[in-house]
Amino acid sequence: MSSHAWEKKPVLLLILATVTILVGTIFTMVLPFAWVNTEHDRIETVSPYSPLEQAGRDLYIREGCNNCHTQTVRPLVAEVLRYGDYSKSGEFIYDRPHLWGSRRTGPDLARLGGKYPDEWHYQHMVAPTSMIPKSNMPAYGFLNDNLIDPDAVKKAMDVLGFPYSSNDIAQLEGKTEMDAMVAYLQKLGTGIPWRKAAEVEIIGELVNPFPKEPTAIAAGELLYAENCAACHGEELEGQIGPELDQDVYSDDELFELIYVGVTDAGMPSFASLGSTKVWQIVNFINYRETP
Amino acid sequence: METVNYNYAIVRSFITWSIIWGVVTVLVGVLISFQLVLPELNFAPYLTYGRLRPIHTNAGIFGWGIGSFFALFYYMVQRLCRTSLWSDGLAKFQLWFFNATIITAAVTLLLGYTTSKEYHELEWPVDIMVVILWVAFAINIIMTIVKRREPQMYVSLWFMLASLVGVAILYLVNAAEVPVSLFKSYSAYAGTNDANVQWWFGHNAVAMVLTAPPLAVFYYFLPKATGAPIYSHRLSIVAFWSLIFMYLWTGAHHLLWTPVPDWVQTLAMAFSVMLIAPSWGSVFNGYLTMNGQWHQMRENYLVKFLILGITFYGLQTLQGPLQAVRSFSSFIHYTEWVPGHVHMGAMGWVSLVLFAAIYYLVPKIYGRELYSIPLANLHFWLVLVGQLIYSISLWVAGLQQAGMWHAMNNDGSLTYTFMEAFVEMYPYWWMRGVGGLIYLVGILVFIVNLIKTAQGGKPAPEAIQNA
Amino acid sequence: MDWASVLYLGFTFGLLVIFILIVWRTYQAKNKRRLEEPKHRMLDDD
Ligand code: HEC
Ligand code: HEC
Ligand code: HEM
Ligand code: HEM
Repeated sequence: MSSHAWEKKPVLLLILATVTILVGTIFTMVLPFAWVNTEHDRIETVSPYSPLEQAGRDLYIREGCNNCHTQTVRPLVAEVLRYGDYSKSGEFIYDRPHLWGSRRTGPDLARLGGKYPDEWHYQHMVAPTSMIPKSNMPAYGFLNDNLIDPDAVKKAMDVLGFPYSSNDIAQLEGKTEMDAMVAYLQKLGTGIPWRKAAEVEIIGELVNPFPKEPTAIAAGELLYAENCAACHGEELEGQIGPELDQDVYSDDELFELIYVGVTDAGMPSFASLGSTKVWQIVNFINYRETP
Repeated sequence: METVNYNYAIVRSFITWSIIWGVVTVLVGVLISFQLVLPELNFAPYLTYGRLRPIHTNAGIFGWGIGSFFALFYYMVQRLCRTSLWSDGLAKFQLWFFNATIITAAVTLLLGYTTSKEYHELEWPVDIMVVILWVAFAINIIMTIVKRREPQMYVSLWFMLASLVGVAILYLVNAAEVPVSLFKSYSAYAGTNDANVQWWFGHNAVAMVLTAPPLAVFYYFLPKATGAPIYSHRLSIVAFWSLIFMYLWTGAHHLLWTPVPDWVQTLAMAFSVMLIAPSWGSVFNGYLTMNGQWHQMRENYLVKFLILGITFYGLQTLQGPLQAVRSFSSFIHYTEWVPGHVHMGAMGWVSLVLFAAIYYLVPKIYGRELYSIPLANLHFWLVLVGQLIYSISLWVAGLQQAGMWHAMNNDGSLTYTFMEAFVEMYPYWWMRGVGGLIYLVGILVFIVNLIKTAQGGKPAPEAIQNA
Repeated sequence: MDWASVLYLGFTFGLLVIFILIVWRTYQAKNKRRLEEPKHRMLDDD
């Protein structure tokens, strides 16, 4: 009887379509809740955000930084070299919402905490191109002009159920949005002590492979402008980092400083440049023509 | 045959507004693409890239996409059911509430009220507006189908019904959040769970907004434009069930190599590849309908839009599964390649099909014949060229960027810094901007043609208007 | 084979059966006219 066929019954069709949609939904969206964020995922050292950090996180969301920056490092060789240890599920249990993002117009920020000194961020956020001339990141100087509202932050902490003391809230008085943003950025990815584990060690003797070679010096000059000038000044005169024009280090000392970095004092490791480029920079710093 | 009093006024109004939001989409799209090459175009705090990009995507999906689907669903449902709308009043309310919602959305996003979830940025009060809108729409469509006078249910109605429930389920589940204040809330889910729910939503927004509704439109307007019935209704039925079944498994292909459990990623990858079959079921159905009709590609400008549209859909549904394979994803994920993929779908598939449907409706909603077919052809070529420049330049950009991100020296160090790969993108971004401008000119030609038609095109014969 | 693989396999098989049933029903000769009817009906209203 054709008039009884379900192809002609819209309500039945609607129900069947709903059931069809729910199968995949249950398997791939509902079921994972039994695996994710359970005891199995827990990492001892991961802590909730402090009030100032959470305020910064909310600003990161407000400004849509996630439209240009991701926050997950994938377990791929190049990616771990570039950004740091790959991301673990347990590191995100306090992230509501997650901010993994889908586009890397700018670099990944999952392991940003501790990469730069605070001072670097204060300057960079106000005028990215003053430090990274080719950047297209918008300038966020206005964050310096606005104060954090401690009451609003307290309410947010209550909703999220994160611990805080009344002192924490009192300390927010007078803090700017920029302070909060920088505090948040410095927290990113520090839930596990990966920097210590990733610290580079130099084994064996160091020999400058191209001592005083002009081509190496020229290459080093370009590399310096790109990677170091923002912190040590265009003329090596020092800025966020100390001046480098005093020629106090031998070649191999200099190599080690740059390659390994002084990561707990704001000097990043440049091992990812590879030793050739680091030697070129060494030759530039130690043997450049000085005016 | 007894005459039915079709409500075309509501169709016309929704089309007018969807085109207005479409222009906003493209204007903001052009602005943000130039912000990427000229960062001084960011005017803090409101007009920065971070706040404008979601306005572009929301205006595109909700304003232009869903706005047009409101119009076209209301048209198709009346015609396919041979009956007038269940409630004209509700539809009118929906029209104004739709505009109120889009305006509220744009203003709140500019002010920085956002949840950060892609395609679901709207904060909870605006979410509630969206839900009201959708319920009003769904009731009206479903009740019209229930009271229909045509016993047959053509496949377009199936796709419409599926998208009505699909969007409702997706939107509600992903909206679960705890309000802190009027315009701030926190997601009910945390971290990895939140990401998995979000991309279950995100990918199926593609299914239920950018695939099922344009397919409903395609299945309706291709036969109408050519006069030839669709090749196989049975094929469309099999493709329908397979499509809506498989799509829901694939969300995690946006999360390959992240901390989401491996088995979820593997399922997403497998189902994405299987999705080629039902997707191409529709593509073949379209092509085979054209058997013996290919001469219409030259003679009938509507057919050009529709066939190019389904061709881009076909390419999109081959490229998508490729991107869902782990090894390829490790390469192109996060790169410029992805906006290339997105805009072949958005500017090619979805928009081309919508243009065709709107042109087809001109005599019915304006009572006049189209002012100029040469202008419609010009529109076609401009948007086609603009979109190809956009997508192709970004695919090349994405491959180069991916290559540079992954390149390694012999000593195991990285060949390029982030900034070295970054600066290589500028020429491609310029090209994309130019492609966008060409597309914008195409849209302006379209609008001029419609305005001229409304103002003084040749009156269409009575029969065509009412039929 | 562990229980997960058995489950996977069983489930996949189940899906296959459902799919075959849908295709079989849709393409039965006796259903052809009924299921192809809508595509003609949608054209003859104008
Ligand atoms: C238009 C895209 C864009 C937006 C929006 C954006 N950024 Fe960036 N960001 C970049 C680019 C490109 C770089 C790399 C060049 C540089 O350091 O300026 C960068 C670099 C950074 C860095 C340095 C990372 C590193 O490891 O060197 C930080 C920190 C940062 N951005 C934070 C933010 C924050 C916080 C926001 C939101 C307030 C934001 N960005 C918004 C594009 C963007
Ligand atoms: C994010 C900012 C930053 C960048 C980028 C940076 N440095 Fe440093 N650098 C520092 C800071 C801060 C110190 C001081 C560390 C300390 O207190 O021990 C430092 C210390 C040094 C020192 C030791 C100087 C001394 O007198 O103690 C050398 C040499 C050096 N950096 C070289 C480089 C080179 C070469 C580059 C580029 C490849 C570079 N740095 C990039 C911040 C930076
Ligand atoms: C079989 C069909 C499809 C599959 C398997 C598929 C697969 C994918 C994958 C894997 C991605 C993620 C890319 C990445 O970030 O690495 C993606 C992104 C995207 N696709 Fe598709 N795609 C399909 C069809 C479509 C269609 C028809 C559209 C319509 C416009 C579309 C629109 C999008 C959008 C908007 C995104 C970007 C999401 C984001 O990151 O914000 N896709 N697709
Ligand atoms: C002239 C036309 C357009 C231009 C110039 C343009 C430009 C842009 C730009 C610059 C981005 C950001 C890409 C990035 O993250 O790097 C973007 C994203 C996006 N646009 Fe457009 N766009 C246009 C048309 C459209 C249309 C018509 C739609 C929808 C119907 C649309 C939907 C989207 C979506 C969904 C995204 C997010 C993509 C992603 O997550 O990867 N766009 N667009």
